[in-house]
Amino acid sequence: MSEGLKEKVLDKYSARVYKNRKPHLVTVGEETEITANTRTIPGIITQRGCCYAGCKGVVLGPIKDAAIIVHGPIGCSYYAWGTRRHKAESDIRDNEEADCYLEYCFSTDMQEADIVFGGEKKLKQAAQEIVDIFKPKIVMICSTCPVGLIGDDINAVAKWIESDLGTKAISFSCEGYKGVSQSAGHHIANNQLIRYVIGTGDKEPKTKYSVNVLGEYNIGGDGWEVEKLLKRCGVEVVSVFTGGGSYRDLKNSHLANLNLVQCHRSINYVADMMKDKYGIDWIKVNFVGIESTAKALRDVGEYFGDEQLKKRIEEVIADEMSAIADDVSYYNSKLKGKTAALYVGGSRAHHYQVLLKDFGIETVLAGYEFAHRDDYEGREVIPSIKTDADSKNIESLEVEADPKHYRVFLTDEQKAELDNKGVKLNYYEGMFKGMNDGSIICDDLNHFETEEFLRVLKPDIFFSGIKDKFVAQKSGMLSRQLHSYDYSGPYAGFKGAVNFGHDLVMGLYTPAWSYIRAPWKSIPSIEGTLGGAE
Amino acid sequence: MKTKVKPLVSLNVNPCKMCMPMGAVTAMYGIKKSMSILHGSQGCSTYIRRHMATHYNEPVDIASTSLTEHGTVYGGEENLLKGLKNLIELYNPEVIGVSTTCLSETIGEDIARMIEKFYELNPEYAYIRIIPIHSPGYGGTQFDGYFRGLYQIVSHLARECEKNNKINVVTGMQSPSDIRFLKKEFARFGLEAIFLSDLSDNLDGGYSEKYSRLPSGGTSVSEIEQMGGAACTVEFVGMDLEYSPGQYLADRFGVPLKKLMLPVGLRDTDEFYRGLSELSGMKIPEEVELERGRYLDAMIDSHKYSGDGRAVIYGDPDFVLSTVRLCVENGVMPVVAATGSTCKMLKPLLEKEIKPLGDMIFEENYCIVDDIDFKTMEELAVSGNANLMIGNSDGRRIEENMSIPLVRRGFPIHDRVGGQRLRMLGFAGSLMYLDEITNAVLACKERGFRKELYNEYYKDTPIDQGIREEVLDTAAIKKREIEEKTKTHPCYNCGAHEYARIHLPVAPHCNVQCNYCVRKFDCPNESRPGVTTKVMTPEEAFDRYISVKEKVPNLSVVGIAGPGDALANFGDTKRTLELIREYDPKVTFCLSTNGLMLPKYADELIKLGVSHVTVTINAVDPRISAKIYKFIDYMGIRFTGENAGAILLSNQLNGIRLLASQGIICKVNIVTLKGINDTHIPEVVSKMKSLGCYVTNIMPMIPVKGSAFENLVPASNKEVNAIRDICGETMLQMYHCRQCRADAVGRLDNDISLEVNEKQQGEPAEQSRDQEQSARFAVASKSGTLVDQHFGQIQEVYIYESKNDEVRFVERRKIDQYCTGAENCDHKEGKIDSIISMIEDCKGVIAMRIGEEPRNKLTEKGIFVYPTYDRIEDAVKKATSMI
Repeated sequence: MSEGLKEKVLDKYSARVYKNRKPHLVTVGEETEITANTRTIPGIITQRGCCYAGCKGVVLGPIKDAAIIVHGPIGCSYYAWGTRRHKAESDIRDNEEADCYLEYCFSTDMQEADIVFGGEKKLKQAAQEIVDIFKPKIVMICSTCPVGLIGDDINAVAKWIESDLGTKAISFSCEGYKGVSQSAGHHIANNQLIRYVIGTGDKEPKTKYSVNVLGEYNIGGDGWEVEKLLKRCGVEVVSVFTGGGSYRDLKNSHLANLNLVQCHRSINYVADMMKDKYGIDWIKVNFVGIESTAKALRDVGEYFGDEQLKKRIEEVIADEMSAIADDVSYYNSKLKGKTAALYVGGSRAHHYQVLLKDFGIETVLAGYEFAHRDDYEGREVIPSIKTDADSKNIESLEVEADPKHYRVFLTDEQKAELDNKGVKLNYYEGMFKGMNDGSIICDDLNHFETEEFLRVLKPDIFFSGIKDKFVAQKSGMLSRQLHSYDYSGPYAGFKGAVNFGHDLVMGLYTPAWSYIRAPWKSIPSIEGTLGGAE
Repeated sequence: MKTKVKPLVSLNVNPCKMCMPMGAVTAMYGIKKSMSILHGSQGCSTYIRRHMATHYNEPVDIASTSLTEHGTVYGGEENLLKGLKNLIELYNPEVIGVSTTCLSETIGEDIARMIEKFYELNPEYAYIRIIPIHSPGYGGTQFDGYFRGLYQIVSHLARECEKNNKINVVTGMQSPSDIRFLKKEFARFGLEAIFLSDLSDNLDGGYSEKYSRLPSGGTSVSEIEQMGGAACTVEFVGMDLEYSPGQYLADRFGVPLKKLMLPVGLRDTDEFYRGLSELSGMKIPEEVELERGRYLDAMIDSHKYSGDGRAVIYGDPDFVLSTVRLCVENGVMPVVAATGSTCKMLKPLLEKEIKPLGDMIFEENYCIVDDIDFKTMEELAVSGNANLMIGNSDGRRIEENMSIPLVRRGFPIHDRVGGQRLRMLGFAGSLMYLDEITNAVLACKERGFRKELYNEYYKDTPIDQGIREEVLDTAAIKKREIEEKTKTHPCYNCGAHEYARIHLPVAPHCNVQCNYCVRKFDCPNESRPGVTTKVMTPEEAFDRYISVKEKVPNLSVVGIAGPGDALANFGDTKRTLELIREYDPKVTFCLSTNGLMLPKYADELIKLGVSHVTVTINAVDPRISAKIYKFIDYMGIRFTGENAGAILLSNQLNGIRLLASQGIICKVNIVTLKGINDTHIPEVVSKMKSLGCYVTNIMPMIPVKGSAFENLVPASNKEVNAIRDICGETMLQMYHCRQCRADAVGRLDNDISLEVNEKQQGEPAEQSRDQEQSARFAVASKSGTLVDQHFGQIQEVYIYESKNDEVRFVERRKIDQYCTGAENCDHKEGKIDSIISMIEDCKGVIAMRIGEEPRNKLTEKGIFVYPTYDRIEDAVKKATSMI
């Protein structure tokens, strides 16, 4: 049936497009390999963004104390200004202040003349102005499409800022056309963070149980919830990459003893390179979902192996669980048996399936915008991924063990023991393994396919971003945005799960749905049940 | 009007604009069964869709050619050809707009040729109209992109055709709801209108069970084809456009072009209906008259609140123009009118609107700015004392930070729902708009009026304290009196030169040791604050006041300026003021202090009738204060370092706050100390502004021998003026300070204290001058501290005396200017002679520079000439040694 369903959607395509798109669509249980991270088909309305969006918008944007100058015409910087709901507050930690520039948008606003005659001079002046006015601890420069083409050397400008203005500066050549999606931008950002930020501080963590949280962007306050939980358990959070995070903290991250990876896609390069360079192991965690949050905390306890810590973690889990039990069981009664489709990000479409399962909701369709094969099939496929021309254009950084800071926290025997306990180090299993047979996975789901699949699959809820949500919403299907949480959140951790359940119930049972059919219309306008209507 | 703002040259902080492709695709969205494809990297379309969808709450489907690095190297033709084909196969649009982006423009893509090639390769798609739109992101804003899009649509689709009776209607990016209104009104007058572009349904649709892939509303291709035969084009933009669709239709097909303002506000809506009536030959319906009446009624009802509005208006040029016109009709003062676009023609249009209102309410400080960013706007909003903002939701950050309410209009609205249905056109739309504006002002009043009015008019007044005798002396009268007094106070009003003041030296003690000050009594050789000849008792001071008042009838101000601190000697200060007040109830009392005791005595000062208080505040950061003050004596304890700074600062700020809240005019003196507080001064000034100070007086430091700062290089006049100019953006600056002595008498430009003193002591001036036989020098100085003037330009000379290595100031002498320009040159012979006769008792002249002729004359007379640029004392010493 599902094969037929896929065919039904693909049939609308010309032979050429059909051939291209077919391997991006997989039915769980029938196929095991997916094609991902390849070029978008021109003219098809993709939901993907560009390299700049991945670099500036996703990874760097949330670093609160970095003044990021977008070098380029005004649009790109304007569009990435406050677009994501990554939150942060300026704060003081151990007498060191981290400012917060997230409400600001800095652009060189290039004009035609700058394109013709080059914009380096303007960039330098802009840097001078930003240093004079804001006195930031660090300046980051992100380039947009025209910059790479006209050959402005932003790297040289960054060096000039350091030497002549005395302010730390890093350049990111993240022109929009690089790579095939945001993913290229993540990689570029990761590389420069390893090169110029991580390892430049020297503030030792206060405890042995020190971790970095990687790939947590604090959308709607998720990161704060996670940090709070870890702290409650007695785990020290050295830094967060990068939601609510700061250059102040990131520079000391190499001194933590363990990395927790939330969003695998956007930050796995940093996790990998920190492993190679500093010997820090990483665990893939998922703080979205009740059971998965508990597992993540327990994994941390197992890694450090301290009985006291483990006991504390169990106490925290028990306490948090009992606090939410009533709410969860109520929401569960309202949500059980619903179905969902998710199309978001390079990790969220996986993470949220776990939370949905906690409420008894089945996922019938899931897809990533910009993931690679390992995000679908697990990291074991990495050696077999062929690098194509587009990936080759993105620098793959080789790092060596740092002579001063490289250390091994666990012995091989300890690691084997952990493995036996089900704590997989430096591994991500991907999305496939958790999904039911017959459900559909679709990479780079475009606008057309979204519409077709939703029409046929009729899920109760469609989770996506703002661009694709109206396809569902305009036809009477509940849509929730998982990029911005529709002003809601946090959804992570135990309390976040309750918020999530509340939002779904509110959405599915809003009285508005019951007025869709005008009383004077005798023919029902929509067949089947509406989201939530009993 | 202030037109010079100081925006950052290269850095745009918080942009007030978007890019051209945004406008181009919006224009396309008003065409029936159309699609847009952006030729560039896919981020452009993704970002633009995201922003439009959030504003309109509608699906926004824009394709991209998804150029990658490969495309940038080998050109994007392949992607565009494929993209068009895929788009057509899946969506089957009738019209496609191909808009360029920064990327495709930078690599120089010729999209028109590629489109031709597409037709050649795919003849089966010849029926689809593909329109190329050049919209480089760096070429302009969404406003420019929108009209360029419209222009391309018209120039590609409109044809030579039979004349018809239709009316072409061109507007800027109006809300779909407002477009619906326009459509209805044209229909009401029986006019068939072709809208360019018609966003009304496509970006504000109703609920429907079936998702429609293509915009089903909007203007169809066949309608646009007929635009060339229309009876008339009406452009509702209010200004000339670089890419004017109406102009194109006029030039190409001879369709007459009528330019109207958008129907916003009374005048323009009247004009709108008159226009519709003319075009249709129909009378304006009675219903419209009723609507007009209702709007007018609302204007009259609202004026008492909206008249207090001081608005910041920003957005697309046409939006700003119409909104400004509505505002001025209602007495809402636009203190900032700005657009992020570069639009030179907007300024004169706005100036014409705003100036008459500004003139009426004495408001000159309004700004009209194009190419603005929100950082600049925030600064202007604050300095313009704005209490209202009107524009898109990007102003929300200022709204939050500065608590200035924002009336949301324009594009985009991202933090509220319903951006697509905001209304401002027509009487009904204007009424909604005006109500929102008025209510924003009213909400502020409602929130604050109880507490604020209580504090301003009632709290701490005698009534409140149960004292009955001063019932009539209400705060309002007091305030008016103080304003009157300010007009006749030479230190506060530049124009009050003709009024004189007297400083009474009754306060010898000081409780703060400033590092730049040494207070020496009976030391008339220097003219600077804190210095006096003699300390007087209150009774002596009173006698002196009486005697001076007889000689100088225009004496309007009595000040206590030391030589110590007026409040450190509060008993004497109080007694002196009481004595004088008894004698002269009208005279203005002013007082200067370091502010340490201000909170303690503020109430008493007000009761004594002191209306003007000068506080010297050199820093608002205790760390900086620590470098400036050696110690303070407070409540019997001597504090030093940052503690001293913090106590002093907190008392100064609280004191000023207390005084300013009671309407006392506060002046703050700031001594420029190079390398210590010079870069900090703007911060001091803005703090003072926030406390409600009237003026700040930034002064150079006068280096004093024996003080801790004796070797600190003083700031030059130029440097001080530069700081004043910067701070002038924040608040009123005093440029005419003469740094008076504590016993100064007379007008600022003519200190007669020596005269008065000498007469009083019965010692004629001549006599004392004759007693001295040592070397005297005439010094040309503007600042009074440095030899910094050309001999030819002196209006007065400083006479210094040098005796046994001691240098002493003797007096200032008024002199006719020698060089006043060519026409007087004939008489200069005589003038030099007269100058020389005035300084005949001097051994030498010290000036920055001196002309050949006077030099010879002086030398002839045996007067030594020493040109130099130096501190006066040092120059005199050097000159002495040279003789």
